[in-house]
Amino acid sequence: MWLFFKRLSLLGMLCNMFLMTGCDPFVENNTIEEISPVIFWSINTGEEGKLKISTLVPPVIKETKRLLSLQVDLFKQGGEKFNLIYYRELKRGQTRMVLINEELARKGVISIINTLLVDPEISQRLYLVIVRGNFDDYMQNQIKTQPDLDYFFYRMLKHYEKYNQGEMSIMNLHQFKSTLYSPFPYPILPVFKVNSDNFSYLGTAMFDQDKLIGTIKQMDDQIFQLLNNDHYLKFLPIPKLATTLGYIHSDVHKKLDRTYSTLSIQIDITGIVEEYRGDKNIIEQEQFYQLRDDIEHYLEQQTTDLLKKMQQYKVDPLQFGNLTLSPFARPMSKGKWMDYWQNMEINVDYNVRLAPLSNVQK
Amino acid sequence: MSAFSLFEKKSTFGSVYVILIVNRLQLLYFLFITPMFLVQPYMIWAIIAVGILSQLNLVLLSKWFTSNFAAMGYQGFVKLLGERTVRFFAFIGLFPILIKIVVTTLHYVGTISQFIFPSMKISWLIFFVFGISCFVASHGMENTIRFVVIAYLCVFWMILLFFYPFFTPPIAALHDLYPLIPTEWSLHSWYALLFLWSAFSGPEYLICLTPWLDNNQKMLKYLTIGNILTLLEYLIVFIASLFFFGSNYLSKTNYPVVNMVRFLQSPIFERIDIILISVDLFHFVFNIAILLLFFYGATRISLKRLEKQTTPIGLISIYVAIFVFMFILQKWFWRPGTSDINIWVTIEMWSGAFTYLLVPAFLMIAIRRKGRVQ
Repeated sequence: MWLFFKRLSLLGMLCNMFLMTGCDPFVENNTIEEISPVIFWSINTGEEGKLKISTLVPPVIKETKRLLSLQVDLFKQGGEKFNLIYYRELKRGQTRMVLINEELARKGVISIINTLLVDPEISQRLYLVIVRGNFDDYMQNQIKTQPDLDYFFYRMLKHYEKYNQGEMSIMNLHQFKSTLYSPFPYPILPVFKVNSDNFSYLGTAMFDQDKLIGTIKQMDDQIFQLLNNDHYLKFLPIPKLATTLGYIHSDVHKKLDRTYSTLSIQIDITGIVEEYRGDKNIIEQEQFYQLRDDIEHYLEQQTTDLLKKMQQYKVDPLQFGNLTLSPFARPMSKGKWMDYWQNMEINVDYNVRLAPLSNVQK
Repeated sequence: MSAFSLFEKKSTFGSVYVILIVNRLQLLYFLFITPMFLVQPYMIWAIIAVGILSQLNLVLLSKWFTSNFAAMGYQGFVKLLGERTVRFFAFIGLFPILIKIVVTTLHYVGTISQFIFPSMKISWLIFFVFGISCFVASHGMENTIRFVVIAYLCVFWMILLFFYPFFTPPIAALHDLYPLIPTEWSLHSWYALLFLWSAFSGPEYLICLTPWLDNNQKMLKYLTIGNILTLLEYLIVFIASLFFFGSNYLSKTNYPVVNMVRFLQSPIFERIDIILISVDLFHFVFNIAILLLFFYGATRISLKRLEKQTTPIGLISIYVAIFVFMFILQKWFWRPGTSDINIWVTIEMWSGAFTYLLVPAFLMIAIRRKGRVQ
């Protein structure tokens, strides 16, 4: 027993010797008072091909907030240079969002995505967002009135991601990367529109590999959510028919013929009529069916237009290309699929089943 | 103070120990990198095929354990092959064991360094990991064999984490598994097969444990269970990684399994991967420790010192020699990464494949010849 203690104290002394003489295995200092975790990076195009990156510090501590921004050649350079202009050391382990400016996204984001993927400290659940307008101005303006804006923004993305509520196309780094590196690389990202006072969801950005090609908005975006992303919408207002549908679930059946010349999509929709301000007396069965037929027709038209637009843009964000994959053949190349896709005939067929308005009188 | 005896034999180890040792020896660091070598979905069949081949090989191996020679322990080897030959083979065996120790340690250390302590000096990590293994090995063969139960209990549940979310939609989409039949076959595919065979290697080291194992007719059954467990784990991990990455990205990623674990989330811990990598230390420590003891034992056999008492000096000098070798290797000859550029992983792959192929076959032939002579 005595021998054991002797050995133990010897070992302790040895450890102390190492630690006190500075032969310390740990290099990084993570004292909480001296660091500042970063919640988001906003990346913009700067002058002369540089990147302009900014972030809000400090993220959570009660202290006056300020916006740091820098012009850098490399994304990671920001991490280093921010430390020189700010008294806390920035740590990137808590990064939750990266906001990329639309102009920059049009030129391609692959280098930024790869930088994020390489970093073991950055989570794969990081949200990627495209911003139209100047996000820095908006932040600068709002710091006084809403100091925790960055945190609220993160909560908002998380809220809409969690149960696919069908309001927004929220994408995280992993989802974006998986599509980017799949045989048919046409990922999507949400687009937010921002000016100095306002901030709003605009729609879904369609990418051809890492380059932003176009944005689908409003009604098109809602249909997009029904077709692919969420298969659910809480509200679907159709102003043209003076109707609002609610709690819409969609069931999508896609079929591609053997020669890849026709694509048939059948979409079964169930929901309820939540609001009606038109001229029909939809309490009556017949008129109600007529309204339903109108809705079907309207959605068919809209969806066909949307898909035509995708064909024009030469993108396939709904991943119809996956229909060509089979267990017994090599996957088709991207270019070959695009040739088929551009000239494909599209048949859209909606089956709408609605519960009528209830508890009302005409 | 009792005598310092590492290789004392007080009890024999039966069924559970054999199963766990086979399983743990097979599932070494390959678990971290297997998917990126296989890449194509049709390699699912290759895993199954190689698993069956490995099973056949284990049938050969079990012949040794059921023979009369095995019951005699070391003397059995001497009777079978003659003392000079045994010493020669023990000396030859030092090299694959050394390579396995070094590659395993450095690979695990590389993983820690990349995901947990990127800012820490690698030599410190080697020192800690190797130090713990030496500590376990110093407790002797019997205790190290018992340690496999701890190692197994610490690690086996990790595979359960892969069912959710990787095997459920939206991550799991059937088209990620297409094509299911080989549409092309290149040199790389052969390489993947070799790699798989090497991934199933490990059970051949059981012959070093002959004196401690309970040699009876059921040996084959235990070996089979261990092998099937390994096969299932490889299948689960590989299919999950195909779902998660898709085969296109899988070829580009390093440490696919760790990257998958990083995607998991828990309400309490942000970085689950750190915990899992740390807990996996038990698994690696068991492997390295038992290989260290093999190395020491083989050195003693080849130096003809088997009858003498084991000494702390002897063991420590082995530790120091291996550590220095590893340190030098890491400093000047080791390139981080797991792909083609790391020659040591390639060497380990070939040596593992060879030992697994040759050892059971060789013993089998020797037993047959001896039987005919007598």
